[in-house]
Amino acid sequence: MKLSKNFTNPLAANNPVIVQILGICSALAVTVKLEPAFVMGLSVIFVTAFSNLIMSLLRNGVPSRIRIIVQLVVIATLVIVVDQVLRAYMYDVSKQLSVYVGLIITNCIVMGRVEAFALGNKPWDSFVDGVANGIGYALILVIVAFFRELFGSGTLFGFDVLARFGYVNNSLMLFPPMALIIVGVIIWIHRSINKDLQEK
Amino acid sequence: MAINKNSNAYIIIYTVVMVVIVGALLAFLATSLKPQQDANVLNEQKVSIMKAFGEADANFDEVVTMGRLVGSEFVAVNTEDKADEQAVFDLLGNRKALAEAEDNLPIFRMRKDDVTKYVLPIVGKGLWGDIWGYVALQQTEDNVVITGIVMDHAGETPGLGAEIATPHVQSKFEGKALYNEAGEFAVRMQKGGAQNEHQVDAITGGTKTCDGVNAMLETSIGKYESFLRAQEVEEFACGDDCCDLDECPADDSAIVEPTNEEE
Repeated sequence: MKLSKNFTNPLAANNPVIVQILGICSALAVTVKLEPAFVMGLSVIFVTAFSNLIMSLLRNGVPSRIRIIVQLVVIATLVIVVDQVLRAYMYDVSKQLSVYVGLIITNCIVMGRVEAFALGNKPWDSFVDGVANGIGYALILVIVAFFRELFGSGTLFGFDVLARFGYVNNSLMLFPPMALIIVGVIIWIHRSINKDLQEK
Repeated sequence: MAINKNSNAYIIIYTVVMVVIVGALLAFLATSLKPQQDANVLNEQKVSIMKAFGEADANFDEVVTMGRLVGSEFVAVNTEDKADEQAVFDLLGNRKALAEAEDNLPIFRMRKDDVTKYVLPIVGKGLWGDIWGYVALQQTEDNVVITGIVMDHAGETPGLGAEIATPHVQSKFEGKALYNEAGEFAVRMQKGGAQNEHQVDAITGGTKTCDGVNAMLETSIGKYESFLRAQEVEEFACGDDCCDLDECPADDSAIVEPTNEEE
């Protein structure tokens, strides 16, 4: 029961992007097309899941004074692993993502979950929490990228969708401010459904 | 015996062990993935060259002859010798060395339907950093014409200078003849719009980048000028009895033959 709540909570009610407003920078930058957004989402899921798992395993041995440094080393290692693997096997996507893979290190979601959850919970629970938060982030990225690619380029995953109906691409959708507006609209819809999130 | 986890000794040992493990892990990973990553970079260079030729789908290894420019002669690279082949691509990847190179310049040749095209690497400085690319040239009766160009950049301003990397800007160069009637290099991106048939429109707001492109084209293509002019002689200035491209033997050794005889 608790485990499934751990898993579902970050997907909607406590989503890291649209409720905690974390990881916005990369959400704006890599959502022009679905493919890079999807790969970015998978990368972040990998990093949050395994940084949570590893830190949870280490949590009783880490000297508390260098706790943050140890977290950074673990997170940075995982990010370098992702970056190197992408460069070897998904070269085109890694070029599109450019610096944003490396910047997963600074994504507040990763360190936030390690600090807030993994250090105080058992490894399996932490792993699930990491996966769920990663999915919560990836979900928003994919939704934003869906609208930006569909209306900005008329394609989805590179396949023509709207062009055949004579749609003229709206290049405004390709600029970062449009991602911010879409994220804003998602937050609006989300809060009108979950009324307890609305500030008085 | 309980260990004091806040003692300096524990912290130092913990840190050292952690760094050694992580360092070894990453070193192993980087070494084992390096060949695959290098292959990707090599493949990207080949694809860029094929795009400049306008044959993005063709297989580089099958249709392109790699060569070096020695003096003003095309000397084919022996592709059996992988180290020699790699040396050419290493030079292409090293923009600083490529910009400074004066001899043994890389050059690529493709023949298709009796048309011979050459691709040259171009390298220069934009506003914020390096710009580079490949330009495809074809000999016409009295000039040399750009048939395709691909350009990329390290950090030009998005939406302004960075537009040089878009097909929209690059396609404007197609069909531009390199030399004007006075024999001077005349292709340039002209601020305020093209004034003659050699020029292309500059990018509004990207003037500094366009200046960089102009300098890049003039300098990089300039290094090959003696070769390009020799081609003019070889292909068109000779009479009926001289070696026509159709009759030329297909092997590479015959290509360098008649270059200077007509001067």
